[in-house]
Amino acid sequence: MNSAELIRNFLTERLGVVPHQIQPGALLADLGVDSLMLAELMFEAEDRFGIEIPSDLSPPRTVADMQSAIDALTPLKTG
Amino acid sequence: MQARRVAITGIGLISPWGGDLGDFFERLLAGESGVRHLLTDDLPRPLSTPFVSCQGFEPEVELGKPLAMMMERFAQLGTAAAFQAWAHAGLPRQPEAADAAERDTWGCIWGTALGGLSAHERGSREMWQKGRERLSPLSVVQGMNNAVNAHISIQLGLGGVSSSHTAACASSGIAIGEAFRRVRSGDADVMLTGGSDVCQSYGVVRAWEAMRVMAPGDAQTAPSACRPFSADRAGLVLGEGGAALVLEAWDHAVARGATIHGEIVGFGASCDRSHLVRPSSAGQVRALRAALADGGLEPSDIGYVNAHGTATAEGDPVEIAALREVFGDGASRLPVSATKSMHGHLLGASGAIEAVVTALALREQAVPPTAHLAGRIDPACEGVDHILQGRRRVPLQAALSNSFAFGGSNAVLALRAPPR
Repeated sequence: MNSAELIRNFLTERLGVVPHQIQPGALLADLGVDSLMLAELMFEAEDRFGIEIPSDLSPPRTVADMQSAIDALTPLKTG
Repeated sequence: MQARRVAITGIGLISPWGGDLGDFFERLLAGESGVRHLLTDDLPRPLSTPFVSCQGFEPEVELGKPLAMMMERFAQLGTAAAFQAWAHAGLPRQPEAADAAERDTWGCIWGTALGGLSAHERGSREMWQKGRERLSPLSVVQGMNNAVNAHISIQLGLGGVSSSHTAACASSGIAIGEAFRRVRSGDADVMLTGGSDVCQSYGVVRAWEAMRVMAPGDAQTAPSACRPFSADRAGLVLGEGGAALVLEAWDHAVARGATIHGEIVGFGASCDRSHLVRPSSAGQVRALRAALADGGLEPSDIGYVNAHGTATAEGDPVEIAALREVFGDGASRLPVSATKSMHGHLLGASGAIEAVVTALALREQAVPPTAHLAGRIDPACEGVDHILQGRRRVPLQAALSNSFAFGGSNAVLALRAPPR
């Protein structure tokens, strides 16, 4: 699984987002990602990819922001 | 403000048999036990105990996946029961915009003894057994003991009080009583109330076992493991579940054409003020008399008592002694049963499931038995009319539901039959 898949699965399964709404420029807030669910999404990414997202990271605003934040920290992409 | 009558306009329950309310009550009338043998694969030693599980409960079907995944199981069971009660009352989940303000004062008072304990137990297990270093931030909101009332208030747009009571086995008896008072006093026209608990946490079962109050049993003997008032009773059987009531001001219910399934008329609460785990009939007597007085009832009005009756050696005779004192000469004709013999002890949800049983008994004019009691009554528990087999066509006007907790907290609800 890569970061895009993780984000997509999270949004569809945990928040009931319709897949076609998940575009790189889509605002996470518009998709129902509040501060609690953003923390949960970051936890899932940390857990899945073995990364540590710094606590002072400015909160990603879009799907693409979230993906870059994860990819920047992912040491080894696992399939 | 003048006291108002309080109607029960909605009843919801997650049945261990997976069916609806009617199916649940028919099984109780038939004396059918929902107790099965629970065997887990826990480390270091599996749980192996009689237990009542809601195996057919599918949280994602009942609640939808996003909502279900926000919740620990006790909240899933509770919210699903609340949704059922709300639908039963004929109320929409989200009101029309013009009616939303009406819900500003409607509220939710819930009962749970263990709350979200299993969320934290799972987290600890993940870290200490499996070496994980992180926990999901959702475990905070999954593990909070007020999760059920919070979810219900959000989902149903209830803007009034939202809280949970924790008083061990009397949690939801007290929750229902407090919700009843808010409707009666005029603070709220509608209150959602009830209780839910999930008691199969590893540490919880092990702790109860260590207290030597858990009934033994294997796959063969589990169904009859819980035998309240019986000479050979061997302890209690834990279970999981959720049950909910919609309480509504009588005139409000009539005005909107709602079906009235019953009436709550009295609530009595007391504390034994003597011992953490040894019950006292004096404290129970005060709660029973308070409930009767609160409901304007005489002992002779009561046609059924749903006993706390957990099947512990110490508790059962104390409860019978309390009933004998309150009902005096009439005690020997007082129909009493302990339905925990069939649906188990749901700890903080037991007051709610038993309030549902009591309301259904009044509505259906039928009383369920104490299962496995025929021919086995403990002489120390004699002196009331123990219901050994379900009885139908019983002319019932009013009934009591007892919840007596560790800690000495007692809650008694007095209910009346709906208009016929």
